[in-house]
Amino acid sequence: MKQLRHRIRSVGLLLCALFLLLGAYGAYSLTNYGSRWFSTSANSWLRGAKQDVIPGDVYDVNGVLLAGSAVTETEDGWTATRRYHDSADVRRAVVHVLGDAAGRVSNGVETFMAQALYGFDQGMAERMNDYLSGARRKGDSLTLTIDSGLCAYILNKVEALSASGAPPRGAVVVMNWKTGAVLAEMSFPTFDPLAGGGEGEPYFNRAVQGRYAPGSTFKTVTAAAVLSDPALSGRSYTCTGALSAQDQEGTVREIHDAGSVSAQGTLVSHGQIDLRRAFLVSCNNTFASAALQLTDAKLRRQAMAFGFEENFLFRDIVVENSSYPDTDRTEWAVAMTGIGQSGLLATPMHLCLIAAAVANDGVMMEPALVRQAIASDGRLRRELVPQAARRAIADADVAALLKEYMADVVNAEGGTGHQAAVAGARVCGKTGSAEVDGQENTNALFIGFIDDPDTPVALSVVLEDMGSGGSCAAPLAHDIFEYILQNGREML
Amino acid sequence: MKKKKQRKPSASRRLLGLTMLFYGLAFLLLYLYDYDLRALALAGAVPALIFVSVRGLPRVFPSDRLLLSLSSFLVALGVLVLYRLNPERGISQLINYMVAIAAMLACTLAVRFIRRWRLLAWLAVPVSLGLLALPLVYGTEIYGAKNWVTLFGFGFQPSELVKLSLLVSLSWLLSRRKVILAALVTLACLGLLMLQKDLGTALLYFGMALLMMYASTGSPLVLMAGAGGGAAGAYVGYRMFAHVKRRVAVWLNPWADRQGAGYQIVQGLIAIANGGPWGTGLRLGNPGVIPASFNDYIFTVICHEFGALFGVAVLGIYLAVILRGLAIARQADQTFHALMSLGCAAMIGLQTFVIVGGNIKLIPLTGVTLPLISYGGTSLVSSMCLVGVMQGVSAVNRARMQQARESALYEGEDAL
Repeated sequence: MKQLRHRIRSVGLLLCALFLLLGAYGAYSLTNYGSRWFSTSANSWLRGAKQDVIPGDVYDVNGVLLAGSAVTETEDGWTATRRYHDSADVRRAVVHVLGDAAGRVSNGVETFMAQALYGFDQGMAERMNDYLSGARRKGDSLTLTIDSGLCAYILNKVEALSASGAPPRGAVVVMNWKTGAVLAEMSFPTFDPLAGGGEGEPYFNRAVQGRYAPGSTFKTVTAAAVLSDPALSGRSYTCTGALSAQDQEGTVREIHDAGSVSAQGTLVSHGQIDLRRAFLVSCNNTFASAALQLTDAKLRRQAMAFGFEENFLFRDIVVENSSYPDTDRTEWAVAMTGIGQSGLLATPMHLCLIAAAVANDGVMMEPALVRQAIASDGRLRRELVPQAARRAIADADVAALLKEYMADVVNAEGGTGHQAAVAGARVCGKTGSAEVDGQENTNALFIGFIDDPDTPVALSVVLEDMGSGGSCAAPLAHDIFEYILQNGREML
Repeated sequence: MKKKKQRKPSASRRLLGLTMLFYGLAFLLLYLYDYDLRALALAGAVPALIFVSVRGLPRVFPSDRLLLSLSSFLVALGVLVLYRLNPERGISQLINYMVAIAAMLACTLAVRFIRRWRLLAWLAVPVSLGLLALPLVYGTEIYGAKNWVTLFGFGFQPSELVKLSLLVSLSWLLSRRKVILAALVTLACLGLLMLQKDLGTALLYFGMALLMMYASTGSPLVLMAGAGGGAAGAYVGYRMFAHVKRRVAVWLNPWADRQGAGYQIVQGLIAIANGGPWGTGLRLGNPGVIPASFNDYIFTVICHEFGALFGVAVLGIYLAVILRGLAIARQADQTFHALMSLGCAAMIGLQTFVIVGGNIKLIPLTGVTLPLISYGGTSLVSSMCLVGVMQGVSAVNRARMQQARESALYEGEDAL
């Protein structure tokens, strides 16, 4: 009997543990995901509650009104309708960040910031006061970190790229690498919130929802892993033009450099080459063998330090997860991962964060979209406080070295990104041309930044089915950097 | 000793007063919304019913006041939430409540006064199996599980009633050290439940039987074999049934199909987020969008309108019921009684964990009811019966202690 009593107590402890687990998990998920669940477009209660509140205004970083509300009196009260910027270009340039009243773009400011815009951040006293005074409740106004002039400029530049008449597809993200403030978050094709529609899934926000193979831009991560490993960092490699590795069926496949097979069918190789030079000419052979020497585990660890496989829980922006493949890790697959192919996927926002982390001595800042939230009575409710999201590169010296590598890509002789160079600024970057099944051309990618604490700009450019990163994405990066250097130090 | 005796009733009296005040005010609030006279009547009737069952019943029947107050709070919460969702259902739940009180008393009296359980326990085995086989013959399929029977124009869920009969047979068999036989009976029940595709209930039976076996044998082998068997069973269930596979996929990412398969979980999570820590307030939310808000998702409705903190408090009340049941089990002097009370507490605890865990996406959602609160006659009756069994064991304990005290007194007099 005594033993039985003892065991009854163990059963009690077990049940207590189960209940504790319920409470702990509930508290955890509500604090971490609660605001995401709340602001989803599937929340019909929110839709109803919005009827009683005039939504707050949304301004860009220079105080340009992007979305305001017009209140019309009706017989049984009033209705508020959303008004957008007069210029169609500006409307189309910011629609993916801003979202639209109909909720066609998921997680735009209009939906994701509903808590602020519709006054759910107001305290009990404020609500009581409004209720008693009979005033119409108005939500908080938001000043974003977005620069609508820059966005409209990028829009025109990108749409001019389409030679065949089909609208270009892709995304551009520009941010301040010191604070994480996002200056532009654009997805193509885009649409006018007043008209809607268009070809090629315009409601899909490619900047944060589109997951692309990073291609050679991922060599930044591979290089960071190699440079962090004292056993490998000083090595030189021999490029033979083709690297053989076994895939999951055991057949040996070759990895070539773009254009390494010449017109005569012979292999062109880089010969004896060190990592710095290989980075600047974007030698696949070197990075594939570097990945094999590193082993999958180490490369994966570095990628995860950069945020791959991370459930991003940024406060202002909902970003899809980036993935590092974890099945069928054959020799060939690991080698391909080293050059940014084979199941690796990242959003343009994440690619921009990777560039920004290198610029910021290895510390990745949390991307931010809201500069200020101001209550309807003019009180400052909340202000942007830059926050580090993670340490992407453990050693600041490695980050500095990687910065040199990226500067070479743009500025040194034979660098793949030389078209991104801007006179009078130290531009660093990495190009990428990612192969996608069923596509005629490669996706053109470029990630980069200006290495100057007074102009801390980082960007990523992804253009689908467009060609090589060096010839298509890098010139766009050049234009964006130049625009910012000329027009907009105050936007930072 | 004397002091303790005085303090106990005062704590439960205060609890009773607060409970009555809470429900009186809640129904009054519902009345004030649209001057629904039935709500006004309930504002009087529900506190009165609670008063009668907590203060009145113990005068006539042997009962445990604390268990009574805690369980009436939970049942009344069910009536309130159901009335707010749909007045007809609230009133029908109130009627279920009265039936359930009668069933609870029957169980209490049975446990208190029946001395010879041998025949009953053996009889309970074919009764359990027969009841569980019934839906396979007459059953109706609801939400992918065929566990509902309509007999004589009156629908019920046999698996709810079998909880009780299985509890009796297992307690008796285990108290007589017939562990293998107990395991076989449990396995037969689980097999029948698997055939009905009712995996949620199978999980509950399994957990209850496992905890009872562990408590009676104390062998870690039982736990290991049980855990291994459970994992194997879960795997077989996963491979065999498409609807289980779907549920697991939906559990892992309900947002992938938020308009279809994931709708219920997604809307549940959104409703909890809308409520926040303090809730939207009674009548101010929109629980109507949550599917199965009457039974499986009633905890989410509570969190939505009363707030997540209130939800935690409700879990605390369940925990109090469970710990009280286990304390009663520890006081028992017969293994049979101890195991019965333990089984009841384990069943209530596991059932709450399984459905609340499903609601908040901690574990895959399985269709079981929230004991004492969810809508449904069979469910309410069976969970009140579990409370009744615990009360019966408590009554046996108290009668024994009383006797011991009296005989001690008698012996003392003798010594004089």
